[in-house]
Amino acid sequence: MNERFSLEGRVVAVTGGAGLLGREHALAVAEAGGIPVILDVDLVGAEECAAAVGSGSWAMFADVTDEETLREVMATILLRHGRLDALINNACRNPKVNSYGSGHATRLEEMPISEWQRDLDVGLTGVLMASRVFGSEIPPGGSIVNIASDLALISPDQRLYRIRGVPEGEQPVKPVGYSVVKTGVVGMTRWLATYWADRGIRVNCLSPGGVQDGQPAEFVAQLVERIPLGRMARPDEYRGAIVFLCSDASSYMTGQNLVIDGGRTIW
Amino acid sequence: MSLRAQDLFSVRGRTALVTGASGFIGRRLCQTLLENDARVIAVGRSDRLLQATAAWTETYGAEAVLTRQVDMYDVEAFTATLTELAASERIEVIVNNAHDMGPEAGFNVQAGTLEGATVDSWMRNLTGGILWAALTTQYVGGAMRKHGSVSIINVASMYGLVAPNPQLYEGGEFINPPGYSAAKAGLLALTRYTASFWGLSGVRANALVPGPFPNTEDSAPNSVLKDDRLVARLCERTALGRVGHPDELAGALLFLASDASSFMTGHSLVIDGGWTIT
Repeated sequence: MNERFSLEGRVVAVTGGAGLLGREHALAVAEAGGIPVILDVDLVGAEECAAAVGSGSWAMFADVTDEETLREVMATILLRHGRLDALINNACRNPKVNSYGSGHATRLEEMPISEWQRDLDVGLTGVLMASRVFGSEIPPGGSIVNIASDLALISPDQRLYRIRGVPEGEQPVKPVGYSVVKTGVVGMTRWLATYWADRGIRVNCLSPGGVQDGQPAEFVAQLVERIPLGRMARPDEYRGAIVFLCSDASSYMTGQNLVIDGGRTIW
Repeated sequence: MSLRAQDLFSVRGRTALVTGASGFIGRRLCQTLLENDARVIAVGRSDRLLQATAAWTETYGAEAVLTRQVDMYDVEAFTATLTELAASERIEVIVNNAHDMGPEAGFNVQAGTLEGATVDSWMRNLTGGILWAALTTQYVGGAMRKHGSVSIINVASMYGLVAPNPQLYEGGEFINPPGYSAAKAGLLALTRYTASFWGLSGVRANALVPGPFPNTEDSAPNSVLKDDRLVARLCERTALGRVGHPDELAGALLFLASDASSFMTGHSLVIDGGWTIT
C-alpha cells in the first residue's frame, strides 16, 4: 500500500464499533496497519468485533451520551498505547420505520418527543462529546471522521417505506430525527474543522448511502431504482474512504463531506 | 421601503429585457411582467415572437412592448441589437431565458445522447445556455449598472443541479442532451460570478431554477402530450407528485425582479416540486 494511506501503528477509536458499518470501519483501520479500539454500548458485540478484526484491536464499553465513560475510555487508551491518532464518530441511532413501537409511532404527529430527544442525544450530542474528549488528545496530523448519511443531503422518500394495506395516516415513515442528526453532523464537521485547524487536526465526514443488510426484496427493488449504480452498497465499500480520511492521504482535506451513495443524490 | 405586498413585489414601470420571450416558459414570464405593469423588451429568434408580441401589444398597449427578432446564434447581429437597446433604453431587469430546445441542439434525437452528441449540438447548448446570457449580462447589464440597480435573472434548470435519470426517458422518444446539463450548470456559475464581481455596483444576479415544467401546451419541438408516460414519470419523481405549471414561476420571477429580493444575489432559487430533495 502507498505509504500515504498507511495507518501503521496508529490508534483509532471507533464509536458504535459493534454495528454493521462500525465493524467495517475497524476492519479498514486494521487493514491499513492501525489499531482499532472498538467502542460500543453493546460490550459483547464490541468484543466479538475486536476478536474478528484482530490486529491488536480491543473493545471497551462506551456510551457516547455519558461523558464520564468516554473519559475512562480515553484514560485506558492512553494507558495502553500512550496515544490516540484518530476518531471515527460512527455511533448513532438508526431508527427503522417501526423503531418507536407501533409502525405509525414514527410519524411526525405521533412520534414521542422522548425518541427524538434520544436520537439527538446519541447522534449529535454524542459526536460533540466524543470529539471533545478524544479530540483534545489527538496530536497534530490526527484526524476525526464523522459518519453522516445520504439523508444529510436529501430527504427520505417515504414512498419507499409504505406497507400495502395500511391506511394513509398510519403508514410508517423514516423518522425525522435521523435526517436532522445527519444534517447536523455535516455542520458540526465544518465547525470542528475550523475550530481545530490550528491544532493540525483535520475533521471530515463521510456520507454513505444504504448498505445491503437483508432488507426486504421489494424495498431494495424500489430503492435501487433511485440509485444510478443500480444497487445498494456492500458493507465493505466504505473501507477505502475511511482509510483515505484517517490517513495522511487526505492531509490537505478538512471540513469536507465525502459522499459515497452510488450516485443517489446526483440525479 | 414599503412592506405592503403590492409595493414590495412591484415591477410597475420597470423595463425588463426577456430573451426567448415566446417560448413555453418565456411567454409566461413576459405576461407576468406585463400583467404587473412592467415594460417588456421581447427578444427571440422565431416568427412566433411576432405573433406573441402583437397579441401583448393589443392587450397591454404599444408602450408596454418592444420586439426585437434576432438570430442570437449570429453573435454580431445579437450584440448589435443589445448595443442598440443599451443605448436607447433604461433596463432594470434582464431575464436570460432563451435556450434552443430543438433537434439541432440534441433534444429528442440521437444526436442528443452522450454517445452521439455532435460538436454542433454541444455548441448550440453551450452558446444558448451560457454565451447568450453572458452577452446580455455584458452588453446590457454592463451599460445599465452605471445608471443604478439591475436585477439579472438567469433561467437555469434542475438539470444544472442534478443529472437526468435515464429511466425517465427509457423506451420513449424524448432525449435530454448532455450539453443542456453542462450549460445550465455553467449558467449557475456565471450567475455567481456576475453577482460577485458586480455586487458593489448595484447589480444583483440570481438564477431561477425550474424543475419539471413539460410543455404540454402547444406544438413546439419540446412539446409533450399530457398523457405521455414521460409526464407520469416526471410526476412520480417529485415530492408534490405533479409537474409544475408555468404560472408557478410567476411569483419567483416577481420576487427576483423586484425590491423584495434586494439583499439576495448569487442565489439559485429552486422551484422543482421537491425533485432535488429526495
